[in-house]
Amino acid sequence: MGKIVFAGAMSHVLDPEYYDRACGAVGRQTVEAVMAEIARMGERLSAKKPDALIVVADDHLNAFSFNAVPALCVRIGRDVQRMTQDHAEAFDKVLEHMPERYPLHEDLANAILEQGLEAGFDLALSWEAPVDHAFLSPVNTMHGARPIPPLVPIWVNCFVAPQPTARRCFAFGQHIARVVARSPWNVGIIATGGLSHFPELSLPRVGETDTVFDRKLIHWMERGEHEPLLDLTTAELHKAGEHEFLNWMVLIGAVTPARADVRYFGELRRINMAAVEWSLP
Amino acid sequence: MEPSVSRYAVNSLLYRLKKEPDFRARFTADPAAALAGLDLTEPERSAFIARDMRKINELGGYLHLVMSIPGLAAH
Repeated sequence: MGKIVFAGAMSHVLDPEYYDRACGAVGRQTVEAVMAEIARMGERLSAKKPDALIVVADDHLNAFSFNAVPALCVRIGRDVQRMTQDHAEAFDKVLEHMPERYPLHEDLANAILEQGLEAGFDLALSWEAPVDHAFLSPVNTMHGARPIPPLVPIWVNCFVAPQPTARRCFAFGQHIARVVARSPWNVGIIATGGLSHFPELSLPRVGETDTVFDRKLIHWMERGEHEPLLDLTTAELHKAGEHEFLNWMVLIGAVTPARADVRYFGELRRINMAAVEWSLP
Repeated sequence: MEPSVSRYAVNSLLYRLKKEPDFRARFTADPAAALAGLDLTEPERSAFIARDMRKINELGGYLHLVMSIPGLAAH
């Protein structure tokens, strides 16, 4: 019987140069601090010798153009390539110097997809979509020079309205847990992004965060009180700059009712940085 | 501001500017010519010609695109 052996969530632009430019020395110090915690989380993940690592993250209009924007999408196939961007700027630059291809856990991805459709989750699938910093920055920070386990990338549409609901993301996470339990594999799962940043996706508001909202989310996660999280609305997540918390909702559904331990929380003008790990039975 | 289905013309143009280096070069050389024939309102067209990313974002352009188009991005 399979098992989720590790669960963690973390911010996903993990680049000291980016935050040095955006926020000065305090930006560099903050991201280096969260990266150190994420690297330690990676050591604990590796110690569990997972057969696969599910990565729940969002697209930043890199993998999917406007010909289709899936609410929930499972990447299938043998391997996945990193997104390429000529003359990359801002958060796209973090991808430079990362390995270009990553093996996938094809059987687990297929199981999540096929059993999902049987269970009423009308999941999208992709054989070709590349992964951007939302996937690869945490994965590479966690593993450093160690081998990366076969990945199962899963996209949640966090940004292009209308998005899936928090409740639906949680239910999808519960589905993932059921698939893993029926499988023969030990599986790690991470969710990336956040915490509060870019409220209302408004350029003049870049540089604002909602720390009160973050602390409310953390309070519920630490206590394993997941009911209030189910009622989070797209509008309030949008207002608070918590769009990417939808990724975290998938993970929370997969591990509920486990409680979270905050490994790092740091306020920064541009984004509140976080690294959180769940205590699993 | 409530999240809502956004304007396709603005975002598909932003996407092309990010992902198509040749189109980006044509736009940089002569924005008005590069935009000729595109389904844009006059405020949208003016904002692009002025490379006013703040205005483009206000008109519905996705934040992550206006922040990451090489040579045109707002930071």
